[in-house]
Amino acid sequence: MLTLGSLAFATPWMLTALAAVPVLWWLMRVTPPAPFRMRFPAIRLLFGLQSDEETPAKTPWWLMALRIAVAVLIILALAHPILNPGARLKGEGTVLLVIDDGWAAAAGWDQREDTLMNLLGHAERATRPVAILSTAPRSDGAPMTVQGLMPAPEAREIIQGLAPKPWPVDRQGAAEALADGALEGPVEIFWLTDGLGAGADGNSDGAQTLSAALEDLGPVEIIAAPISELALALSAPVAGAELQFVVRRVAADAATYWLRITSERGQILAREQVVFGPGDEVVELAIDLPPELRNRIARAEIELQNSAGGVALLDERWRRRPVGLVTIAALEGDQPLLSPTFYLERALNPFAEVRNGDIATLLGRELSVLALADVGKIAAPDRALLDTWIEDGGVLVRFAGPKLAQDVDDLVPVQLRPGQRALGGAMAWTEPARLAPFPEAGPFAGLVVPGDVLINAQVLAEPTVDIGEHTWARLEDGTPLVTGARRGDGWLVLFHTTANTDWSNLPLSGLFVEMLQALVRLSQGVPTQGDAYSLPPLSSLDGFGRLGAPTATARPAPGDGFADLIPNPRNPPGFYGLPEARQALNLGGAIPVLAAVEGMPGGTEFSAFNNAEETDLLPGLLTAALILVLVELLASLAMRGLLRATPATTATTGLVVMVLVAVVAFGPVPALAQAVDDDAIALDAALRTHLAYVQTGDRDVDDMSYRGLLGLTRVMAARTSVEAADPIGVNPETDELAFFPILYWPMTASQPEMSPQALAKLDAYMRFGGTILFDTRDQPSGGFSVGGVGQGTQILRRILGRLDVPPLVPVGDGHILTKAFYLLDDFPGRWTGGQVWVENVTGGANDGVSSLIIGAHDWAAAWALGDDGWPLAVVEPGGDRQREMAFRFGINLVMYMMTGNYKADQVHLPTIMERLGE
Amino acid sequence: MSERAIRQRAEHLASTLPPLLVAAERVAATVAQGVHGRRRVGSGETFWQFRRYEHGDAAQAIDWRQSAKTDRLFVRQNEWEAAQSVWLWRDSSPSMRYQSRFGPCEKLERAGLLLLAIAALLVRGGERIALLTPEGVDGGTPATGQAALTRLAEGLMLEAQKTSGGASLPPIRRLPRHAHVVFFGDFLGPIEEIDAIVREYAEAGVQGHLVQVLDPSEEDLPFSGRTQFQGTEGEGSLIVGRAQSLRAEYHERFASHAEALRHLTKAAGWSHIVHRTETPPQSPLLALYQAMADGLA
Repeated sequence: MLTLGSLAFATPWMLTALAAVPVLWWLMRVTPPAPFRMRFPAIRLLFGLQSDEETPAKTPWWLMALRIAVAVLIILALAHPILNPGARLKGEGTVLLVIDDGWAAAAGWDQREDTLMNLLGHAERATRPVAILSTAPRSDGAPMTVQGLMPAPEAREIIQGLAPKPWPVDRQGAAEALADGALEGPVEIFWLTDGLGAGADGNSDGAQTLSAALEDLGPVEIIAAPISELALALSAPVAGAELQFVVRRVAADAATYWLRITSERGQILAREQVVFGPGDEVVELAIDLPPELRNRIARAEIELQNSAGGVALLDERWRRRPVGLVTIAALEGDQPLLSPTFYLERALNPFAEVRNGDIATLLGRELSVLALADVGKIAAPDRALLDTWIEDGGVLVRFAGPKLAQDVDDLVPVQLRPGQRALGGAMAWTEPARLAPFPEAGPFAGLVVPGDVLINAQVLAEPTVDIGEHTWARLEDGTPLVTGARRGDGWLVLFHTTANTDWSNLPLSGLFVEMLQALVRLSQGVPTQGDAYSLPPLSSLDGFGRLGAPTATARPAPGDGFADLIPNPRNPPGFYGLPEARQALNLGGAIPVLAAVEGMPGGTEFSAFNNAEETDLLPGLLTAALILVLVELLASLAMRGLLRATPATTATTGLVVMVLVAVVAFGPVPALAQAVDDDAIALDAALRTHLAYVQTGDRDVDDMSYRGLLGLTRVMAARTSVEAADPIGVNPETDELAFFPILYWPMTASQPEMSPQALAKLDAYMRFGGTILFDTRDQPSGGFSVGGVGQGTQILRRILGRLDVPPLVPVGDGHILTKAFYLLDDFPGRWTGGQVWVENVTGGANDGVSSLIIGAHDWAAAWALGDDGWPLAVVEPGGDRQREMAFRFGINLVMYMMTGNYKADQVHLPTIMERLGE
Repeated sequence: MSERAIRQRAEHLASTLPPLLVAAERVAATVAQGVHGRRRVGSGETFWQFRRYEHGDAAQAIDWRQSAKTDRLFVRQNEWEAAQSVWLWRDSSPSMRYQSRFGPCEKLERAGLLLLAIAALLVRGGERIALLTPEGVDGGTPATGQAALTRLAEGLMLEAQKTSGGASLPPIRRLPRHAHVVFFGDFLGPIEEIDAIVREYAEAGVQGHLVQVLDPSEEDLPFSGRTQFQGTEGEGSLIVGRAQSLRAEYHERFASHAEALRHLTKAAGWSHIVHRTETPPQSPLLALYQAMADGLA
């Protein structure tokens, strides 16, 4: 391989043939052009005539230049030039591909894949065996091994199935796997690293260990993205405090990113710029949002990072709950330090939204916790309100005080003795009491009791049998200090001391804040924390930071130490716990240090991912040579007088020939369903059922659409009574759409803009019973959703923006699509996850069939079967089950199209039978 | 040759013959319009006029029916219908099988058409026609009627079938005095050879007509560019760098050749008619017919 800048020649020795070009030139110089031969009866009359101009025995210079150009082009083409050649194989023997597939690799995964494919292409050409070692722990927990040796095509399948994992890499483990070593003979190593060295795996010398182990095997080339493109880590704010996000990176030049904060449903709540100065490693970003918005935050992510480390999930712990403080008007304001509400407000403010007012006012709005400081009896109307509210899940926190000690109603968790108990006063013989460690069963479990909290007075509970289980905090002598009891869905909590400093200095301590925090958390239904509880996974992030169903290998997370858990294959980042009280496990904050990979042993080569695509120039050059040959042919013919026509026709002929050549050379334009013979096409389309797809102009996509629908048609014919004919590609611009029950429309970048006529046609098609299945094919980049950023989604938005689109809803349980033929929960195609959207059908128009269905799953690829009946495309994450499900979805879809609400009637059949009077 | 091939060939011949004849008849019909016979008294079948009986007339000549109508005697006279023999010849050498892009058909074909057309006209006029063949070759004796015409056409066809082609100059043969010959050809050969033949016939008292059939390219030389000209009858070849540069000189030469032809025919008292294939065949036919009518009269 000879390399000249961005140009390389695969067979450079062919270039020596260029030396022969001057010889060619000389040969052409001495060979006159062949004359135009013709019979001529009157030749006798010509004999003896002298042409006044001498015969041009030499070929004109431009024709020679043309011919030499042809020769040079052919020689260059045979030398097989490649523009922007990617990473290349140099040595010999096994090619070992070491791939960092941890979270940090997600950002430039496409580049990685391209580079890997390039390498595999080279390996395939050189017929060298390939081994693969991915450095992230496997999701199934299997030990890391070197996969291989295998031929390049097989490796390609493995690479295609590879995806970044939402946890850090384990290079130490990888080095050990390497040590087990099935690799023998010469090995050439390419290490596609994520670029994060020290500490990305919590092990600062893992990179060096692996590097050294690789170095022992053979020459290593490390391929890494530039430092400015390394992954960023986003740490979630501390729960319950201000929303302060921390974005970390490896120090590099100044850069700007965007932090996007979205709600559960993908609505963008805030979008803040993250500005790194030159050399900055950390940016802290405080987000100030109104409580209503703040409480809807479910996710924060750094835009365009698409990695699990760039996503922070926020659960209920981050939400500010409204807490009501019942104020007694007269006292407030004059002497704030004496007012119990002062201490409560100060303690609650950092993590809750505090509201003041009387009970009726406070309960008029949504409220999580209501604090009543030293209120003995509650008036009857308020009492009724309070009872209902607690039953519905409110948490009432009462504090003792002189009034309560005198006279208390029954809205307390335990029976109280009238009067108070004073401890450690000047006249008393007892010391002020200290707090005992909190019982494990209560909400305060795990809080540390500081030694300086002293209780001087309290109200006493009647010792009853169940007093123990209601006691959440007690003094050293065992008397309850905080008691609580369940009332309906809510809680009743009583602090047996005051909320001000009259009876104790508890309100001055940090413990008070923590206890209140625990109580507020209680209001959100966080279950009582025992010592051995565990949190089942609810949903998990994948390597690209997409939230989906938990992986099959995800295990419940231990409850204790959840906060310190570093995401791993068993516990991928995501939500854990019960749906109503889920807890987020985030990756970004759990990564100790971000630093660039460095300090490799000598002999290791660094190179970058090739951004530019490798372009093989051979076909282009040969095409150019072919065109020149044809031009030369025309020119020679003209010279010999074989093209004896007027100059105009010559030019026209030349033009036509050039156009034909161009068409042949640059690939046939996809055959569009031309209206050549309208009647025949219409007859064919109408007499048999056809699945149809929209021709996008992208040949690969169109071919896949055709193959996909063909596959679906075959499967349908085998399983159902729908025996459709071969699918038909249509162009909405020119073709009649009315014949087709369904139109599959994949989104491509090359999609031409629709003309108004075509849009009107599509509108009419949808209005009069047709259904269009839009496929954005971009589920990996988020799919079709409110905030989707995928390319297909954007193109689809452009198209839908010009169509008359009815309101859309996600396909929910019980939609006919889920039961038209098979019973289905989801609709996988080539991709899984994500929503499928349909028209929100209200009336009986079009038999209740949605006029459009939108998804991002690339169904055609999943349905596509080759001529041999084998699938053409890999499904992600894979498996026969997924493909089967994709086919089932297709069958359901067609059934839905064809039978309309018939299946809906079947759903209601029991009700109808009942109504008929059985 | 298998029986099947023979039959095929025969059918082919039979199928081309009638159209040629029909075409010739059609061309002849346009010319024959208004042209009539001898228009004088002679030995013939057709009534011409009555004449007073004069002394010396044979008694058998008297038309008694006419004479009975009056007091005088009338003699019935018929029109003179002395038929001439016309020998026709067509050049079927390879040079006649030439058709350039500018001509609608081969020269051979056009010459054949003209020959048959004039033959058809002559047959109508009652003349006897025959193909001029070399001495000793059976060309048939001059005859008249449709059968003669058909035989003539067959003869032409047979000659055209010859792969080697015929001679480029008419054969010399002894013909009766006052016979007529019509030569169709391109007459591009050496002027002396043509002159010798014309002189030979003229000295034998034969009236003759030269119909020169030319392709337009032969007169105009419309070629350009580097060209290799090749003779059709083994004259050799000639490579010309720029054919267009020869045009003016060629025209001169062609004109002098034509002049020489005209001169030699004039000297022999013959007629010389030039026909280019891109022009309609009627005009040379009319000219020929008129020239022959004068000669025959």
